[in-house]
Amino acid sequence: MTQNELHLQRLVKEAEAAQLRMQTRRHFLKESAMGLGALAMGSLLGSCGSNSAKTTSVAFDPAHPLLPKSPPFIGKAKSVIYLHMAGAPSQLELFDYKPELMKMDGQDCPQSLLQGKKFAFIRGVPKMLGPQAAFAQHGQSGAWVSENLPHFSTMVDEVSFLKAVSTDQFNHAPAQLLIHTGSARLGRPSMGSWITYGLGTDNQNLPGFVVLTSGGSFPDAGKSVWGSGFLPSVYQGVQCRSEGDPVLFIKDPKGMSRDLRKASIDAINEANQQEYKAYNDPEILSRISQYEMAYRMQIAAPEVMNINNEPAYIHEMYGTQPGKACFANNVLLARKLIEKGVRYVQLFDWGWDAHGDNPGNALNIGILNKYRSVDKPITALLLDLKQRGLLEETLVVWGGEFGRTPMMENRDGAQNPYKGRDHHTEAFTIWMAGAGIKKGFSYGETDEIGYYPVSGKVDAFDIQATILQQLGFNHEDFTYPFQGRPFRLTDVGGKVIHDILA
Amino acid sequence: MKLITPLNITVVVLLAAGVVAWALFSPTTEVDYSTQVKPILNKNCIACHGGVKKQAGFSVLFRDEALAVTESGKRAIIPGDPEGSEMIRRINLKDPEERMPYKHAPLSKEDISILTRWVKQGAKWGEHWAYVPVKKIAVPDVENDWVKNDIDKFIYAKLDQQHLIPAAQADKATLLRRVSLDLIGMLPSPKLAQQFLTGKDSNQSYNVLVDSLLASPHFGERWTAMWLDLARYADTKGYESDGGRNIWKYRDWVINAFNTDKPYNVFITEQIAGDLLPNPDDASFIATAYHRNTMTNDEGGTDNEEFRTAAVLDRVNNTWESFMGTTFACVQCHSHPYDPFKHDDYYKFLAYFNNTRDEDVDTEYPVLKQFDAAQKQQLETLTAWIQKTDGPEQAKNAALFLRTGQPAIYSTSADQMNNAVIGNNNIALYFRDKASARFKQVDLKGVNQLIYRYASSVKGGMMRMTKDSVNGAVIASWKVKDDKNYQNVAIDFPLQTGVHDVYLSYTNPQLKEKDRFVVFFDWFRFGTQLFDKAIPEAGEQEKTFYTLLESRPPSTPVMVENPAGMRRKTFVFERGAWTSKGKEVEPGIPEIMKGAMPAGAPANRLGLAMWLTDKKNPLVSRTIVNRLWEQLFGTGIVETLEDMGSQGMTPTHPELLDHLSWKLMNEHQWSLKRLIKEMVMSAAYRQDSKLTEEGKEKDPFNKFYARASRVRLSAEQLRDQHLCVSGSLNPALYGPSVMPWQPDGIWLSPYNSSKWQSSTDSAQYRRAVYTYWKRTAPYPSMIAFDGAQRVMCMARRIRTNTPLQALVTLNDSAYVDMARHFAKRMEKEAGKDFRKQIASGYQLMLYRPMPVEKLAVFTNLYQTALKEFNKDAAKTNEMTGMNTGQATPAFASLVVVANALLNLDEVVMRN
Repeated sequence: MTQNELHLQRLVKEAEAAQLRMQTRRHFLKESAMGLGALAMGSLLGSCGSNSAKTTSVAFDPAHPLLPKSPPFIGKAKSVIYLHMAGAPSQLELFDYKPELMKMDGQDCPQSLLQGKKFAFIRGVPKMLGPQAAFAQHGQSGAWVSENLPHFSTMVDEVSFLKAVSTDQFNHAPAQLLIHTGSARLGRPSMGSWITYGLGTDNQNLPGFVVLTSGGSFPDAGKSVWGSGFLPSVYQGVQCRSEGDPVLFIKDPKGMSRDLRKASIDAINEANQQEYKAYNDPEILSRISQYEMAYRMQIAAPEVMNINNEPAYIHEMYGTQPGKACFANNVLLARKLIEKGVRYVQLFDWGWDAHGDNPGNALNIGILNKYRSVDKPITALLLDLKQRGLLEETLVVWGGEFGRTPMMENRDGAQNPYKGRDHHTEAFTIWMAGAGIKKGFSYGETDEIGYYPVSGKVDAFDIQATILQQLGFNHEDFTYPFQGRPFRLTDVGGKVIHDILA
Repeated sequence: MKLITPLNITVVVLLAAGVVAWALFSPTTEVDYSTQVKPILNKNCIACHGGVKKQAGFSVLFRDEALAVTESGKRAIIPGDPEGSEMIRRINLKDPEERMPYKHAPLSKEDISILTRWVKQGAKWGEHWAYVPVKKIAVPDVENDWVKNDIDKFIYAKLDQQHLIPAAQADKATLLRRVSLDLIGMLPSPKLAQQFLTGKDSNQSYNVLVDSLLASPHFGERWTAMWLDLARYADTKGYESDGGRNIWKYRDWVINAFNTDKPYNVFITEQIAGDLLPNPDDASFIATAYHRNTMTNDEGGTDNEEFRTAAVLDRVNNTWESFMGTTFACVQCHSHPYDPFKHDDYYKFLAYFNNTRDEDVDTEYPVLKQFDAAQKQQLETLTAWIQKTDGPEQAKNAALFLRTGQPAIYSTSADQMNNAVIGNNNIALYFRDKASARFKQVDLKGVNQLIYRYASSVKGGMMRMTKDSVNGAVIASWKVKDDKNYQNVAIDFPLQTGVHDVYLSYTNPQLKEKDRFVVFFDWFRFGTQLFDKAIPEAGEQEKTFYTLLESRPPSTPVMVENPAGMRRKTFVFERGAWTSKGKEVEPGIPEIMKGAMPAGAPANRLGLAMWLTDKKNPLVSRTIVNRLWEQLFGTGIVETLEDMGSQGMTPTHPELLDHLSWKLMNEHQWSLKRLIKEMVMSAAYRQDSKLTEEGKEKDPFNKFYARASRVRLSAEQLRDQHLCVSGSLNPALYGPSVMPWQPDGIWLSPYNSSKWQSSTDSAQYRRAVYTYWKRTAPYPSMIAFDGAQRVMCMARRIRTNTPLQALVTLNDSAYVDMARHFAKRMEKEAGKDFRKQIASGYQLMLYRPMPVEKLAVFTNLYQTALKEFNKDAAKTNEMTGMNTGQATPAFASLVVVANALLNLDEVVMRN
């Protein structure tokens, strides 16, 4: 580093410290956005503090890491709801209509589709399996949707389908990580972490990145799919739960009333004020405000997580079951959280792994319940957001980590007892809606049996790039320095899918 | 504080830049490559002309590349001739189409001047400071009352330059708490505390205190907590089902190593290559579990070789990051864009790690069986006997086999399977009737015996082993003994030669269900018959052999090297993808650091360890000095602990770093305790941490150490301190990981039914380092305080301050429980007067009397609480966790105060 740069770096550091002090004072016991001056300074720091003129530098303030920040350009989306069907739903029973595949039902799979391929469980020569559902066209756009989603089919004119998404990971955990962290290995920050790191969050009384799970298990990759990787841990997803404490440790200890908790936080903060007088360390002021915030979060989180007071028509619309941990409840919670200013809400619904090795995961038995459990809620979510004027600024994404094979699974070479499909990496369907995404549109096509993409092929990086684009980031410039190099969510890939942008 | 507007800042920045530029512009002085040229190249050129891209055939990464003829036929840099150098011509052009940097703003006049002078002066390449071996440094000539040891002389010299005055020594109470939390990660015993606080000669008693803390068995626990982040230690395997892993003996090995002050060079050698030392004992093997802390993927359908490779890549990256503070990971895909490491270097380095017996198998082989004393005695007698009958080589092989099961071929490596599968793709090989499978390229030289482990769920059936094809020459055939349990069986056959594909087949005509898998294999070991029936005591020895083989003592995953016949070749991965293999490479280290490889070092992990711990290795000593400094002073001398390369931050005190590194190797003989002692004995460490207005202005981030840093306690220190304060700590050392209280529903891994079972006995009060660590769902309260997930090497924890942390210490049942214990202790210490109880609580936490104003605050809280509890017996019971009759409103109020006290900033921080 030249002395020149060294000097500048020092100046920047001093300015940052000044900023820190300023914020600490201004935000002391107060919930608010950063002022205009601070924002402008953030971008100024970015341009003189970073090595590359292109890199988007995000000012990280360890004392107030979640304050809202402006993206580099004005994005269409303010927040994201990502609905992940963990286990990977079958595109062939939902959105990718393949009448030709029906004609091949029961025939041996052609060798050309098996050569050089690796499958998770298929061994030898499997049989082809026709679509296990009837399809029809819906809406103005004429989108094909199967009978498994009778409610959702009324909303097709709101969404853009990506019919030719592909991945290179055929196991659940790596494939989920790839979609959500940009790497098939553990250790990278998740998309929600990147986004809250880059944008902060509007409501300081709630976590900026909330995760809700249903289906009885966590997603296969565990909490790493909402981990913060090498970003500061404050950006990891906070799991909110519809059973037990809505946020871990949010409930006061048994026997402590709210008034008493207030009195005890006041006492802690008063003593800390005295401490500040002695030590003069701004970190103490920051701790005081964190305790204030914790107290407010204790009110705000249970309030937003309580769906009992929602009107009956909302319960009817979403198909919620208050008191239970279910997908419908989580979808309603997602809407409530977004409405309250949460930046990123990630849902995982486990149980879509339709192998057909038991009735529970057979396409024509157990999985039918999965369809039923999501059909109403996802429809209600789009409608509800639209009615509240939130769909314009909320990006909704629905999908799995890969697709399912057009062949019936023959685990270890023997036909599975129930109708099921193996993991399929070549092509599957994801849909997006809201926040500047084209309405009633379909992008990408697969061949006549839904095996390979024939046009409009996209991958996880493209989807991530598109999500970041809608939030106001160029995915190539949005980086974080770690291990000596700038890392980004999309690693070395990613092209914004401009075709689906309105 | 004046509000700084953006405009003001701009003006300041521009002004300052102008002044600096003017000061630097001096045409005669020698240009320094590392500090002046390299930053310009890194910033402006290397994105297109570096490790990743070499536009127009020009790269500025290495000197030979930079001076070479480019694609245009011209030389970009001709030493001594700036006029003839294409690079200098191009950076001076006006035409944006031709000017460099292409499509970017032109270089500043100063930068152009630096580059021009540099070329004129011969375009000398320099090395980044961190890659130059550590030399002895002259200690600055500073003498004054403040200085206590050499560290202070370096610190003072810099302070003086900055016109800063160091702070006075912190008061005894602060110092006691600081040095205890830093050295043993918890509070000292009351006796030790008393001894220090009442000691007359404060210098003398501080010295005694430090020595006592260094000698405490809790010292090892505290530093192990740090080391486990580097070792990415966890109690589970990671990935999807994230099942349990029995590797806590490694954690205990680290604790013991710190406690016995194992010299750091030995500490490294044993972890990298303990298995390759002559006659390794159990501890040497267990040390190698360091690199068995990589993850194992048990998810159905995964490719074992893919995840074995992932583990090896992680070992490479980890070795560089943890021992050498250098990022090597980017060299996996291409030459390092900034540092002098070539793409091939990565794979040469990887070749050192590519020949261990682990293969991402569910069983975690290889594992070390830790025999008890009697078994060890049996093994010794047995190997002595084999040595007598078959020679030392056979004796050694037999011992290794009995201890580690190696070398064995795992059944999961079978291919060309008929009527056979590898269950779940990674558990084991299963056979049904008419099954066959191949094991590729088995070394049969001198082999006349197969020992294998299997289970058969049916009676009867014949097994056949053939060479080169299923119907090839029969090596042996035998009847299968039926036994539902796994068993070891030896099959003898005539002496074999050469390397062959071995086929195993099975038929069982009595079998009715042809689709059912009936025989399950674990491993196969091809070896030599040892027990010659002609020798009288052979039968007895053979029995011992199989008894030991069958025994199941505790075991730990360890490293075992492939024997010659099983060696894997190592290839460069094109663009980093393990599936696209390029040229073959042999073990080797990057050119720039070859000087540290001792002559005659073996080309294996032991040789690698010799290179790491050679005094000429420029990174190892600096990295550990920097790391210990960060632990004690809050920030590293190089702030980026994970990267001392040219992209890392510049050291604040480079001479001090080198001085301490040199001393560690040459004077302290790699003793970390002595190094730590030197650091904590310095006046710099002992300073007061109060921030003056001057300090705030001149050095807000305490880069110059005119005061001690205030640091938030780590997740582990916080828990351990609170356990101490509350008097509930269970100080037991070592042992399997424990499960303290955790809310329900944290563990919900798919295909894994294991449950967290909060302990109800004293195990729940063990220190944090013993907490069971599940990678995909780590202990939540520790994660809230920036604990590492332990998936990959974490060289530095970034400390955050969030409301979720407040919720942990306020509400987590484990912490509420500690508050109750604390309240009991307060009652016991101070009798009936609640004011005295509160004041004594404060004193127990901080070793000094409670200031009157603070006592007033908590008196007030106590009285508020008392009013509530007096009216509400149910709440009183809940708050105290007691039944009516025992629970009193007074005690409930004290619990509320205890809970609040444990949340004070000065308690959560280390002043």
